[in-house]
Amino acid sequence: MAHHRVQQWATFARQWWVYDATWQCPFRSAPAIIKHLQGKHKPIYHPTNDCGDHVVVINSKHIAMEGDLWRTFKYSHHTGGKDSEDPDLETFSENVPDEILKNLSGQIQQVMTVPKGIHEYTEEEKAEFPALFDWPQDHIMMRSGPSKPKQ
Amino acid sequence: MVFLTLFNLARNRGPDKYWRVQQQLRMSWHFRTRTRTCYRIGMNVVNKALMYSYNGRKLKKEQMKYLWNTRIEAGAGEHGLTRRELLEGLARSDILLDKKVLSELAVYEPRTFQSLTEIAKKTMSDTRVGKPLNVLYEK
Repeated sequence: MAHHRVQQWATFARQWWVYDATWQCPFRSAPAIIKHLQGKHKPIYHPTNDCGDHVVVINSKHIAMEGDLWRTFKYSHHTGGKDSEDPDLETFSENVPDEILKNLSGQIQQVMTVPKGIHEYTEEEKAEFPALFDWPQDHIMMRSGPSKPKQ
Repeated sequence: MVFLTLFNLARNRGPDKYWRVQQQLRMSWHFRTRTRTCYRIGMNVVNKALMYSYNGRKLKKEQMKYLWNTRIEAGAGEHGLTRRELLEGLARSDILLDKKVLSELAVYEPRTFQSLTEIAKKTMSDTRVGKPLNVLYEK
């Protein structure tokens, strides 16, 4: 006979979440990921209870950094030891291993809406969009290449 | 001490030392070393313990509120609401449940909590002013 009073199916299980970082602000994404790592998304959360989950962040090289932060932002980490140096960030430049992907059971909601690029619209949609004036022939719609460094 | 005669009452000056020591030893029985047995050595430790307990009575209330808020936030997030939207929706629905009860419902009675979130959602959507619920951040 099942004791429904004490049913705790998967309550204390450690789940795996995936987060798609495409066009996401890393500084806004971090609180959403931290919440899942600490277990604060579960009603059973307690500071002394180890109820955190695993999070796999994919497409991390497609994050949206503001301004020139791609060049100027420094991820500093110093342990305070005599010979400690800033460690290199370990990233999966290739695909995520299958033994990690097969554990995934949910997806974290993105913090920002992914905008649609000008190149993703078809020519018909561009033509139908109301325009007040025509661009000159030599106008470039999207900036390409690195921006000027800050002085 | 009980004085049956007026003479003994007038002669009594302050609490008897024996009783004062016993009062402190009752509070220091779980300490270590001579702080638990000696009056003079354990005096500062007992005073410090009383200070800690006095402050802890306030800290406990703050920490429990923080824990309830976190649990309500988690419970509401499972149904697409934030904590503020849930509490505001329940308040507008005249459902006067406090945070302690809501957090306990979120843990032990998730179906009851889900029905409460649906009530809050409906009330908020009916009496909504401003932006719609659960909208992603757009820059």
